Amino acid sequence: METMETANLMASAIEKDQQQTQLVAQKIFAAAQPGAVFGEPVVQGAYTVITASEVKAGGGFGLGRSFGPAAPRAAPSEAGAPPASAPAAETLGGGGGGGGWSEGRPVAIVVIGPQGVQVRPVVDVTKLLIAVVSAWIGIGAALARARRR
Amino acid sequence: MASWELQTTIGKPLAVAGGRMTVTPQARRLVLRWRSTSFVWNRPVAVLVERGGQVQRYPIRDVTRLVQLGLGGATLLIVAAGLIASWRKKGAAQPWRP
Repeated sequence: METMETANLMASAIEKDQQQTQLVAQKIFAAAQPGAVFGEPVVQGAYTVITASEVKAGGGFGLGRSFGPAAPRAAPSEAGAPPASAPAAETLGGGGGGGGWSEGRPVAIVVIGPQGVQVRPVVDVTKLLIAVVSAWIGIGAALARARRR
Repeated sequence: MASWELQTTIGKPLAVAGGRMTVTPQARRLVLRWRSTSFVWNRPVAVLVERGGQVQRYPIRDVTRLVQLGLGGATLLIVAAGLIASWRKKGAAQPWRP
């Protein structure tokens, strides 16, 4: 009877875990849809503007469950008689964890107007400055190391 | 089991300019899966504009990424050139020779 109850408990716990993992996977894979990259068009007069962005997302999770008999406990016995062990109870234990990340960055703006279609790139000046500074530091370190030899 | 997927996707066509033009966005996505871990990278590549029965493709270029890659490549070349020049100095060890 106890075994059946524990098995039912484990089955419902596994089902809940599966639902949660599906939910997490859906959120991550929402970034994989074409609609995640292109925004809703904004119409102003004769112009329509659509934003195009780069989207990245990632995540992972882990779950663990164990199911088995607990160590039998020795029942109190009379003096001189061998100790009798109580029947082992079924136990269920488990744990889990996960994490995720997502980012988006505008890449270009598509402008549709009376003159036709224009694709205007969006330049991220901050990222370029970081790249330039990193390049200088890398080159400087390599040259300093080369001079020391 | 690990799997990966690289494909070009087409979004929902949009009617603009009073229905005279239809704009269809095009994106490219990379999906990596390994056990319970997933990674998705989705970026725009072009818009297809249909006007008067003709379809024209307007590519979308990521200028920021291109400049970053160019800077990274130039840095690697300069660092490699500097290392090779220092190895060629008289008496300096040359790791590629036994």
